[in-house]
Amino acid sequence: MSSKKWLVAFVCTVLAFGLLTLAFNVLVDPFGVFGDVIFHWDSYSQTLNPRVGKIEYLDRHCDEYDSYIIGCSSTSSFPVEELDEYMDARFYNLFTYGADMLDSEDFVRYIIKNYTVKNILLNVYIDNGHTYDDPGIDNLTGAMHARVDESSLAAFYWKYLFLDPNYAIDKVRSFFKDELLAEPYDVFDVKTGCYDKRERDAEPISGLEEYEAIEQYSGFADYPTYHVPLKKTAQAMESLVRIKEMCDEAGVNLIVVCGPVYSGYMQGVDRQEAEEFYTSLAEVTDYWDFSISSVSTEPRYFYDLTHFRNCVGSMALARMFGNGDVYVPEDFGVYVTRENAVELVERNDAVFASRPRTDEWTKDVPILVYHNIVPDGEEGATVSMLEGQLAALRKAGYESVTFRDLEDYVYRGTELPEKCVVITFDDGYYSNYEYAYPLLEKYGMRATIFVIGVSVGHKEFYKDTEFVMTPHFDEEEMAEMSSSGVISIQSHTYDMHQWPPFETGGHVRETLLRFEDEDEEEYVRALQKDFERSRSQIEAVTGERVDVLAYPGGGYDILSQWALTQCGVNVTLSTRYGVNTLVKGLPQCLGAMHRIYGDAFPDAGELIAAMKGKR
Amino acid sequence: MSITSFAFAGFAALLAVVYRVLPQRVRWWALLAASVIFYAAGGPAAAAYMAVTAVTTYFAALLLQRENDRRAAMDGEQRRSSKRSHDRRRHLVTGAACAVNFGMLFAIKYWDFVSESLAFLRLPALGLVVPMGISFYIFQSIGYVADVSRGKTAAERSFPRYLLFVCFFPQMVQGPIDRFEHLAPQLFAGRRPDTDEVRDGIQLMMWGYFKKLVIASRAGTVVGAVYANAGAYPGCASVFAVLMYTIELYCDFSGGIDIVRGTAGLFGINMAENFRRPIFSLSLAEFWRRWHMTLGGWMRDYVFYPLSLSKPFAALGRFSRKHLSGKLGRILPTSLATFIVYFIIGIWHGANLTFLAYGLYNGAIITSSILLAPFYTRVKKALKVNESGGLYRAFCIVRTSLVVFVGRYLTRAPWLKMSLVMLKRSVFDLRLRELPGVVTGLGMSFFDLALVAAGCAVVLAAEYIEERGVGIRAYLAKRGAFVQWLAIAVPLAVILIFGVISAGSGAGEFIYGRI
Repeated sequence: MSSKKWLVAFVCTVLAFGLLTLAFNVLVDPFGVFGDVIFHWDSYSQTLNPRVGKIEYLDRHCDEYDSYIIGCSSTSSFPVEELDEYMDARFYNLFTYGADMLDSEDFVRYIIKNYTVKNILLNVYIDNGHTYDDPGIDNLTGAMHARVDESSLAAFYWKYLFLDPNYAIDKVRSFFKDELLAEPYDVFDVKTGCYDKRERDAEPISGLEEYEAIEQYSGFADYPTYHVPLKKTAQAMESLVRIKEMCDEAGVNLIVVCGPVYSGYMQGVDRQEAEEFYTSLAEVTDYWDFSISSVSTEPRYFYDLTHFRNCVGSMALARMFGNGDVYVPEDFGVYVTRENAVELVERNDAVFASRPRTDEWTKDVPILVYHNIVPDGEEGATVSMLEGQLAALRKAGYESVTFRDLEDYVYRGTELPEKCVVITFDDGYYSNYEYAYPLLEKYGMRATIFVIGVSVGHKEFYKDTEFVMTPHFDEEEMAEMSSSGVISIQSHTYDMHQWPPFETGGHVRETLLRFEDEDEEEYVRALQKDFERSRSQIEAVTGERVDVLAYPGGGYDILSQWALTQCGVNVTLSTRYGVNTLVKGLPQCLGAMHRIYGDAFPDAGELIAAMKGKR
Repeated sequence: MSITSFAFAGFAALLAVVYRVLPQRVRWWALLAASVIFYAAGGPAAAAYMAVTAVTTYFAALLLQRENDRRAAMDGEQRRSSKRSHDRRRHLVTGAACAVNFGMLFAIKYWDFVSESLAFLRLPALGLVVPMGISFYIFQSIGYVADVSRGKTAAERSFPRYLLFVCFFPQMVQGPIDRFEHLAPQLFAGRRPDTDEVRDGIQLMMWGYFKKLVIASRAGTVVGAVYANAGAYPGCASVFAVLMYTIELYCDFSGGIDIVRGTAGLFGINMAENFRRPIFSLSLAEFWRRWHMTLGGWMRDYVFYPLSLSKPFAALGRFSRKHLSGKLGRILPTSLATFIVYFIIGIWHGANLTFLAYGLYNGAIITSSILLAPFYTRVKKALKVNESGGLYRAFCIVRTSLVVFVGRYLTRAPWLKMSLVMLKRSVFDLRLRELPGVVTGLGMSFFDLALVAAGCAVVLAAEYIEERGVGIRAYLAKRGAFVQWLAIAVPLAVILIFGVISAGSGAGEFIYGRI
């Protein structure tokens, strides 16, 4: 080939590679602007750029919604389903990362013009006075959809057409390693538009020290005070005026809310500027203020330094819509008008200055765990040891409470006795019926027994084998104990606490954890099926709701924790040592709770010391 | 603008097209404009340094030319009588140009090192940013001044033309250091390159991109971590890191030069060769004749010869011949000059004790091998070594590679002690079994390692074939169209996939992680 032909071939090849790259970008479509014809993965493109991805999604699905939530990322925590119920509407959460008031204005204009809109809930965050039309926004991941801010569509598509192909490659890679729960590359729940917090909301939470020791939350322990100047308040409020005008004109019900701000964050805001922010907001519109209250001082109510938890969003909605069934702290949420704005700012300053009294919303609860009880003289937890401990607890003024009481405390704020303890027995041994039940009755205590479904009534052999094992009580005995009110029967799984030496076959479920080679979805189905079987077995005998589970062998992880919450399991118990701290309004403090082994402290005095957190 | 960026490739391609369509007379203006734009993009300070060099050397050369012209007009007698004053004037002008330019280079590149090393003198640090390619254009310009001074080259009268010689854009990043008599005529001729030259240029650029992007950048990922904290790793990690660094250095530097020479080829300009397969060197001295050849040539012409021929060295020669017996007496001055040259080469690479040590290392080995040559000859005779045999040559290549390899311990370490720690560990604390763990721990996947190895194999094979005197290009040009097309598409795909795309762009970092 002559060098001339060679050059032509070279140029053609370069062009062909270029075209291939463009085609790859269009087909894989990481930002979802070309219809995402292969993957149909909205959550991925929304994660890369929610301003673009959510609009692309809504343009296709706007007929499924009639109301919208708008604001920056903390807005994610207003639960859509609850709002739908309160307002008889179909909400979509159109929040985006770091949205300023200009973004909100653009969104409001766009949705009113293009979609059917009944209600808009606008969350105004203190940062709206800090940034406005920030020029530092990344052009690919932070830019607004061109159809929304009415910039050049050609430039918009050009940008995503000539994209670095690594974006598309990453998408393909992520697709093949995608797992059931949220990953850093798909953080949105597509249907609601909220963050997919399934995983984060399944994490067990207890004492503050333990919380702050987790790396993710360590920021709370040593909160840096950095200055957040509010120089953009005026611009933000001008945007808000326009938003209000647009809503009024279109007959859209606009609700303005100021979501909770973590107190440490608020510390970086100048008081004068904060006052100006909130009073000028009241000049524009009435609003619900949740920005500062006792909630702001409790790190466990926050996912991180700037995002409050979903459960806090539920509390806010309960306050707004007067739902008395949900725990809401007294000082949480005030309706602000032009008249009371200044008072409110003063009130907030007072809350801010006062020392938080965590004991108003937290309670330390020890949970004891026993297994088989043996006659005196034998090795293990003996009858007289148990009796000694029960007597000592009684004498020390302890009252035994049930998991129902704990749930009431967390969900409804119902107070617990000053000195309370939960007593549990794992596995469902016959000795529990034979020895423990009468003793509990004698000392006026209540306890919960976690039964392994498959072992109920097996008094001689392990399942249908010829392996001899410790006897387990039967359904009749179970019914008797339950109806006495002394014993609550709950789940220790149906058959996920297998004993390897007695089992045949490759996979033995010693705990309910997923096998390494097990598909996540299959595992979740297996776990939920097992639990449902255990639940229906127990409920058929006792008639009592089963929503507590003790993890076999104490083994749990986030996936199992989440899968069980899906079945309505409100309380789970681990075998991690320690005293639990309950937090009102925070369901996660009922997850994988700590327990203290009763037989580890034969001396009742030492046991009581351990229950107070001393070892 | 990095020469590995799309912007550079696009810039060069566009300029090549413009260059072809412009009339011949003005083509060099296009090169000048492009070079000025290219360099000005580096900021005002960089442009100012460049201007100082261009202006001072331009006028120095004009002065020298006038001096030489005046002398040329003299008759024999006048010449003889004025030789001293003529030489003095020449040296004065050359010395002044050197003082200004090397002074500037020293202030920018070495001052802070000196003030830091001699802290007790309390010299203030300047904190100047070293601009792109400053050593290269200063050396090239001073070489030109020296050539004019010696009457080897006529001074360029047009400043714009001279400026193009100083700042011709492809060589701005890493040379080569060309000679005026070689480069300038090509720059000004404005010859329209034929398609063969353009094709060759593109091929050379692709080869350079392959070495630089696919091999060097991959090998380089693990180097920094070990050199920064060698104490935390077993000796095998040091060996591995130095090996990767050696690969990185060669592929990065020679690849860069290929891109530069290939780019120049788009304009029909043939720039000086800078590497001639140094891996096949039989001795360290030969290595330095094959590695960074334009620097070596510069040192030879403008440092070694002037030094050897200078009066103090002549005196030293007389002294050593008189007081030392045999060969030593004869070669001592040359050896000393050799030593000084390699010492300067060491320092040229950077301001750090490690480079001082590197200069000493090279100087000492080359000098001692000259001094010990008679001894080696006797040994070889006694062992009946066949010097032209393949086995002996292989031995020499391995030996030279080892010497070069050990030298590499010195040049990359942040401080000298670290180099020595690494050397010590490599010998006394190798722990070879831990190597797989170390490699993965450094974040290098098996795939990357395999790719580096495969890339090196391709480079070695190509160089071996060329070393044997077979032209790969000529061979390819004779193949069928499909094979030739494959030789375009496959390398392009390899560069794109393993050089550009998989190098990553930070695209995988999700904003969610930060908010």
